[in-house]
Amino acid sequence: MVILAIACHTFRDAIRKKVLHVLIGLGILIMVITPFIPTSGEPDARLKMVFVVFFQVVLVLCNIGIIFLSAISLPREIEDKTIFGILSKPVSRMDVIVGKITGFAFLSALLLAILSLLNIVVIQYAASGIPTEHRGILKAREEFKPSNFSIRGKIHHARGGIAWIEGEKTGVAVWSFTDVNKKEGYRYSPEVELNLKLESSKGFTDVIPLMIGMENPVTGQGIAEVVPAKLDESLTLHIDPAIIQKSDTVNISVFPVLKTDYMGVTPEDVKIFSAQKGFASNYAKAAIITFFKFLLIVIIAVMGSTYLSAPVNIVSALVVFLCGHVLDFMKDFSLLIEHYDIHEHILPAAQRNPGSLLIYVDYLIKKPLEWITFILPDFKRFDCLKFILNGVYIPSETMRMSIGYTAVYAGICLLISSLILRKREFF
Amino acid sequence: MTKVYRDFWGRKKIHALTNLNLTIERGEIFGLLGPNGSGKTTTVKLLLGLLFPTSGKSWLLGYPSSDLKVKNKVGFLPEESYLYKFLNAEEILDFYGKLFDISKKERKERIDRLIQEVGLAPHRRRPLSQYSKGMLRRIGLAQAIINDPELVILDEPTSGLDPIGCREIKDMILEFKRQGKTVVLCSHLLAEVQNVCDRIAIFNKGTLQVVGGVKELLSQKDVVEFLVRNLSDADIHAVEAFIKDKSGDVLSISHPSSTLEEIFVKIIQNHS
Ligand SMILES: Nc1ncnc2c1ncn2[C@@H]1O[C@H](COP(=O)(O)OP(=O)(O)O)[C@@H](O)[C@H]1O
Ligand SMILES: [Mg+2]
Repeated sequence: MVILAIACHTFRDAIRKKVLHVLIGLGILIMVITPFIPTSGEPDARLKMVFVVFFQVVLVLCNIGIIFLSAISLPREIEDKTIFGILSKPVSRMDVIVGKITGFAFLSALLLAILSLLNIVVIQYAASGIPTEHRGILKAREEFKPSNFSIRGKIHHARGGIAWIEGEKTGVAVWSFTDVNKKEGYRYSPEVELNLKLESSKGFTDVIPLMIGMENPVTGQGIAEVVPAKLDESLTLHIDPAIIQKSDTVNISVFPVLKTDYMGVTPEDVKIFSAQKGFASNYAKAAIITFFKFLLIVIIAVMGSTYLSAPVNIVSALVVFLCGHVLDFMKDFSLLIEHYDIHEHILPAAQRNPGSLLIYVDYLIKKPLEWITFILPDFKRFDCLKFILNGVYIPSETMRMSIGYTAVYAGICLLISSLILRKREFF
Repeated sequence: MTKVYRDFWGRKKIHALTNLNLTIERGEIFGLLGPNGSGKTTTVKLLLGLLFPTSGKSWLLGYPSSDLKVKNKVGFLPEESYLYKFLNAEEILDFYGKLFDISKKERKERIDRLIQEVGLAPHRRRPLSQYSKGMLRRIGLAQAIINDPELVILDEPTSGLDPIGCREIKDMILEFKRQGKTVVLCSHLLAEVQNVCDRIAIFNKGTLQVVGGVKELLSQKDVVEFLVRNLSDADIHAVEAFIKDKSGDVLSISHPSSTLEEIFVKIIQNHS
């Protein structure tokens, strides 16, 4: 009851703040004009743009507004001494903290709900101009990872975790999947997505012919066909539902047809997408996960405010927020270096190896950052955009992980807050 | 209790309160008196657990003052009106009422009554940002008694109020006493304290100088004061001569002034 009263009061105080109005207004403006920004290339680029702008710009603006408010809320009360009025009542110091967090949780939930609904309208509008067959990302396919991966025959060479196979069936890469058709009465024929690294020693070719087999190892049913694969593009094929009808296992085997072609493979290169689920529920899941991200940063900001003054706390909360995301960037950066050797058959040797300086810099930045992630929150865990952009159903595991992460983090933050507050005096 | 304020580095800086040892009886109006900076507000904040004593302990209504439950029976008016300016009178009283877990119906009744009592009925829907200092003081007083407390702690309740407002507050304090509440009143306004309080404590520089009933403190047994009307100058001289003849000491012959003020000034000057 007391916590609820403080939460409502905090909420009321927050929603009349101009910072929030400006940031939300800006967010809505950006969201509404996004469908009109000219995009190039792929037919679904516009839809992707809407999603990227919503998750990476609009929600970030909204999040910054909430960080700002939650970071100053308690310091303001202490500065204005309105805290006296609360603490002279039968209200414990932790009640105040939990009340504040609850208030900002309300605010986050409300803003997320409104903005997400508005964004659905924008998505509908953007989708209306796109032919149905290109609205693939408005799906929510379930993703299956291979249960087994093997290479039959010869590996030409291996480098950086990638096995390279020479053409003409010297080696065949096989990915095995189980349980791909768990649900009865699916209305969606499963898809195989292949992200292979392909090269031709003949020089510049766009298309490499691959022999792709889809076979059910239990029933022996299956087909094999030659498929032209474009370099640097993922390849999507439909699986005949008949293959997996009786037994829901399937092996995908691939080799380059021509002797002059090479194929680089890892166990993660092939995925099966099946059992389409509702887009709306997937989108709602993304919103809920984002809510927990908001909640986490609110808890951190409120924890900081038990000790820091308003301006210092705003800066520190924003730094934490930024670090949680820059860390992603750093990981991407190091990924970039590792993948440098993709085109080693074409590129001259000098360009093949990353400069030692680059590795050194990478190490210098990455290692401390890795340590920092033990302390600072890792917002990568809350990234839903990658699922949404691929039209992939957000696995319940991701959902559980993000909620669990927030819960553990919140517990630790509340513990620290209570330790700080126990000693804190209000002058 | 002793309270020493420390600076940022934890070094002891200001001895705000030194070895205070004081008992306030139930049902009395007790005045904490002292010049600015003598430690009155510090005492109150220690009692309410906003500050922690450097040494010593305090009890409210028999409970340690760190006990949250006892706050249900305590009302507090801070030294200045630290209120949420964006709310109106009703909303702010409702908020404070919720902190006491008072039921919705009960809250509404009390809020209506209190707003009447402090004379803010015409302004109940105006945001506090539009209130004058005196009006804020009144709403502050109303929030202090929203829980119908047994103990009311008022830190300079009349600061910023006009004489009529002071008068009204005084009447309200006397009304609290009639209802059996204990009132602790911090003030540096002597007349106010003299008229209202049963007992007072005078502080100076963080030390307690005097405690006692107002009447006892004010009556000086060895001093006799005559209050006479329509006496000619010649007669005054004659009376003066007569007293001298009786080996009395004529200290002064003057119109009586606020005697608490005299005592106060004397105590403060003696100890500084
Ligand atoms: N937060 C603080 N930090 C340091 N000194 C303080 C603080 N608050 C009050 N003091 C000092 O403590 C002494 C007592 O102050 P206070 O209790 O507010 O006096 P009063 O209420 O009687 O006017 C003063 O000398 C004041 O300067
Ligand atoms: Mg004071």
